[in-house]
Amino acid sequence: MTWIVRYVCLIPALPMLAAGISALLPQRSRKPAAGLAIVSMAASFALALCAFAAALSNPSPQVFNFSWLQFGDQTLALGWLLDPLTAVMLVMVTFVGLLIFIYSTGYMEHDENFTRFFCFLALFAGGMLGVIIANSLLLLFMCWEIVGLTSYLLIGFWYQNPRAAAAAKKAFITTRIGDLGFLIGMVWLYAQAHTLLFYDSGRGALESGAVSHLAVTTTIYGLTLSSAIGLLIFCGAMGKSGQVPLHVWLPDAMEGPTPVSALIHAATMVAAGVFLIARIYPLMSAHGVEVVTPTIALQVVTWVGAITALFGATVAVAQWDIKRILAYSTVSQLGYMMIGLGVGGPAVGMFHLITHAFFKALLFLGAGSVIHGCSGEQDIRRMGGLRKYMPLTFLTYGIGMLALSGFPLVVSGFWSKDAILYSAHHWSVSQLPFYMASLGALLTAFYMTRQVCYVFFGTLRLPGHGPVSHSEPDSEDTRHHGAGHPHESPAVMTAPLAILAFFAFALGFLGTPLWPWFQSFLNGDHSVAAEHEPGLVATMAASSVIALLGIFLGWLLYGRQSIATCEAPDVLERAQPQTFRVLHQAYFIDAIYDATFVRLTRWTAKLADLLDRFLFHGIVQAISFGVLGLAWVDSFVDNYVVNFGFDSSWRSISMGGRAMAALQGGRVQAYLRYIGLALVALVLYLLWGVAR
Amino acid sequence: MSSIQPTYSQLLSLAIPQMILVGTALLAMSIDLLALRRATLSTRSAATAILGSLGCAAAAAYIAIIHPNGNLLGGVLLGNAFIQLLQIAILALTIAVLLLAAGSTFTRHVGEYVLLILMATVGMLFLVATQDLLVIFVSIELLSLSLYTLAAFNKQSRFSWEAALKYFLFGGMSAAFLLFGFSLLYGLSNSTSLSEIGAHIHGLSPLLAIAIVCVAVGLGFKVAAAPFHFWAPDIYQAAPAPSAAFIASGSKVASFIVFFQLASIGFAGAQGSATWGHFVRGWIPVIALVAALSMVLGNFVAIRQSSVRRLLAYSAVAHAGYMLLALTAHTPQSLAALVYYVVTYSAATIGAFAVLSIVEAQTGSDRIGDLPGLSRREPVLSFCLAIFLLSLAGIPPLAGFFGKFYLFVAALQSSPESMPLLWLVILAIATSAVSLYYYLRVLKASYITTPESSAALTSGRVSGEEIPRVLCVLLAAAVVLLGAWPSLLLRPLLNALPRVF
Repeated sequence: MTWIVRYVCLIPALPMLAAGISALLPQRSRKPAAGLAIVSMAASFALALCAFAAALSNPSPQVFNFSWLQFGDQTLALGWLLDPLTAVMLVMVTFVGLLIFIYSTGYMEHDENFTRFFCFLALFAGGMLGVIIANSLLLLFMCWEIVGLTSYLLIGFWYQNPRAAAAAKKAFITTRIGDLGFLIGMVWLYAQAHTLLFYDSGRGALESGAVSHLAVTTTIYGLTLSSAIGLLIFCGAMGKSGQVPLHVWLPDAMEGPTPVSALIHAATMVAAGVFLIARIYPLMSAHGVEVVTPTIALQVVTWVGAITALFGATVAVAQWDIKRILAYSTVSQLGYMMIGLGVGGPAVGMFHLITHAFFKALLFLGAGSVIHGCSGEQDIRRMGGLRKYMPLTFLTYGIGMLALSGFPLVVSGFWSKDAILYSAHHWSVSQLPFYMASLGALLTAFYMTRQVCYVFFGTLRLPGHGPVSHSEPDSEDTRHHGAGHPHESPAVMTAPLAILAFFAFALGFLGTPLWPWFQSFLNGDHSVAAEHEPGLVATMAASSVIALLGIFLGWLLYGRQSIATCEAPDVLERAQPQTFRVLHQAYFIDAIYDATFVRLTRWTAKLADLLDRFLFHGIVQAISFGVLGLAWVDSFVDNYVVNFGFDSSWRSISMGGRAMAALQGGRVQAYLRYIGLALVALVLYLLWGVAR
Repeated sequence: MSSIQPTYSQLLSLAIPQMILVGTALLAMSIDLLALRRATLSTRSAATAILGSLGCAAAAAYIAIIHPNGNLLGGVLLGNAFIQLLQIAILALTIAVLLLAAGSTFTRHVGEYVLLILMATVGMLFLVATQDLLVIFVSIELLSLSLYTLAAFNKQSRFSWEAALKYFLFGGMSAAFLLFGFSLLYGLSNSTSLSEIGAHIHGLSPLLAIAIVCVAVGLGFKVAAAPFHFWAPDIYQAAPAPSAAFIASGSKVASFIVFFQLASIGFAGAQGSATWGHFVRGWIPVIALVAALSMVLGNFVAIRQSSVRRLLAYSAVAHAGYMLLALTAHTPQSLAALVYYVVTYSAATIGAFAVLSIVEAQTGSDRIGDLPGLSRREPVLSFCLAIFLLSLAGIPPLAGFFGKFYLFVAALQSSPESMPLLWLVILAIATSAVSLYYYLRVLKASYITTPESSAALTSGRVSGEEIPRVLCVLLAAAVVLLGAWPSLLLRPLLNALPRVF
């Protein structure tokens, strides 16, 4: 075991320490808080690079376990591990996190709760890194909950804004519903496998012994135990990764500051669900006997992912808010990752996760830069022509857009998405997910083109056109720069954009079919060799066509004729107003939830309240009256029966005491006489017995 | 008579603590008379008392570090782990009494006062370390004569003399009985060693019966058991507070230990039985009768007292009754229970006397009727008083509860099948419920009753009471600690016991 395995726990511990220290700092110490967070993140990044190097040289899982607490004869062990999956995620999270931390110092510059913000960010980073290194499902769950908490805290960072507060609550409650399944699955796993460690030199829950036991045992409906547990844990992943039907919190979470949206709700936290499924992939994919078809668990993952991918893409077409478009896009892309896991295994899903983390962070930070430059404006109808004012942002945003659209050959998004489409095409169960994903890819290219046309092309529609909505209250900017004059963001914000843009290009070349280094690294084999599989080129060509078609359609509808006024309805809205409305409202899912679950909960609460108020209160009242009555009777008996008897007996005791006290006359002769009497009495008593 | 030739080095090693005390006593008196002639009274009393405490601490440290073991002349002077523990406990209690005396201004002869306390302590140290009649008698006389003088030390108070005179007359008479009893024992067994005596006694003869009763009278006087307790209320009330505390604490420890050894070793051949309805004559029923009488009389008379000191005196009679229960059980476990009980009882009693001495210095009275306002005037002191009295009453988190509990359990377990002492234990529990009444009366007066005059609320601090104040807090902490963690004292006791029996 190399030293780095032992000290890999420092990677989450450093940001957590920074969070703990900055929590104690006074509000005004802005620089130390930001400095602490950034330095700790940089140190974690350096350590993560070391860990990555260690994993490169030894790709088998290396663990460090210790027993945490003991109850009875059971020991609960925790631990951390280092394997390629962990190493890749560590590098990604620390690197993206570092860039976003730096970006935040510029973006949050004018916020009075700057210190609190960095405390939460650092805590988030600690929790997220803890999820990544955990070698125990329990430790993973604990860090998972820390991450959920910080997500809640950061979405509701501007808690004065009621929509932010509501969004924070919504995110917390929705993910908690998923976590309930996770918890049940975890307990079930412990009951069956007697351990929650992933790898424990043969005894871990993900190792062949436990997995083969779980895979042959069946529960209800012929579901194998491993699939049942895997599906319960997948509930947690669905909540965290915004899969349909638990996706509702993710678009609302955009109420938080934009760096938070970039870091937590695009790049890292939402990917934690995908990571979780990749982590427990041995459990999800376990076959009891030799069967060709994928397990039920993986089929469910694939279908949920396909539905989510298509759902998110269609809804994103009809949004006006720059960040909501990206949010639905994130939902859609998370669906792609799930498809990738379901049909192609961890390498495929994780590759898209990594590339997506970079270009989606890039897009969010670019959107933040746009919002920052437009003094808090988020409605794309009121933007336009920004390429002249913010050239650097335009350039990097364009790269992000191409990556997300899957522009052929040059950007990373193309390669990762292509791998997913290719695997889906060869899925043995059904071809439907492939077609859904392809349609989603077309729509992705389309809505991204639409967004870029709205924001950066055409004429500027910002100044003097209606009230500017300040959903992001960094209105301090309006004081420095006159309202309506967009400006380029400072270097501290554009530099991370440039770096991320570079990686949005470069990362793709780690996983091309010609040189699938990433896949083989994650799968743990060293043979970096091109695989010539049938239909590869055809799929590549198809996905290229799809992406180009989407971009062309977008340009046709939005770019050819520049949008003149912000009141002008959308082209699609003009053509299909009903459909557009349905899509804009995200299929009315929020309304449906309001009408069903929320109302049901309200009614239940009301019923419980009524029960509490009348039934239980009545019972309590009745009992208390009964007790009061008893007490009254008791007091009566006490006063007139017991006390009478007690008083008289007390008087006799008291008189007895007085009689005995009278012995103490104060004359010493009398005292000595009592001794003599006692002596005579005792001796007589003893002698009488002897004589008898 | 295993070792006829006494080795003087052995004698020296066993008697060094006592020699340290004698040296300290002489040093304290000479310093007081020579070096401190021009100093104020409070300086002198504080200096001599602290010197005496240091001497005790040195003796205790010697015992704790050297562990003097040995058996000189077949039980004339013993040293073992159990005796070492007892001696350390006695020395600790003496230190507490000396610290209490450090603030006293009732006499100008402070050097002599400290000397007498230390001499009495020497008597106690010999008393617990011997199993020989002669040494027992000489030690008791050394202890008693010192105590008579200590009780009479307040020459300004007429009551103090009177009480001391009664104590002396009473003590003299009981010493005569004790000596008569000892001479009969010698005549019966031709030996002064307790184990020899025990080996020679088989069954109850008339002479032995008289001897047993005489010994019971003599030692019953020392432990203030009814009906040999008549001196106690007067002494508790009229003697100077340190003297009274000393008589009530350290002297009790030593007397109970020697009583236990005399009865269980010396009278081993004439036990008898105190099973209810099946009394078999011997020493056990005598002790059981004395115990029962003490519990009933002590607790009931205490109800009627208006002076806190007299109340403590009668409650001491009752506690003597509880402790005699351990004698009737006479098992190793009951000896451990007895030591735990008497030590914690002594600590609480010294504490109560310390509080009372401060209160008396302020208000000039120890009557319950003059206590109201104490909790507002002296919150710390009255809280300490509450701890001491509740411990004496046996309320759970405090040492007194555990002492009673362990004592009663030991009494019942002396023969678990028949439980011959059940009636005595039931009587003890019932009467200790009565005792809660009078202890709570004192606490009610200090906490709840509103004082008649507002003068009772203003602090009237008297100089020279800082050391007793600190002592109160320390003793209260000790009572709480020993109650919360009884094994602190019990574990060493139980570890030391097997070497005795």
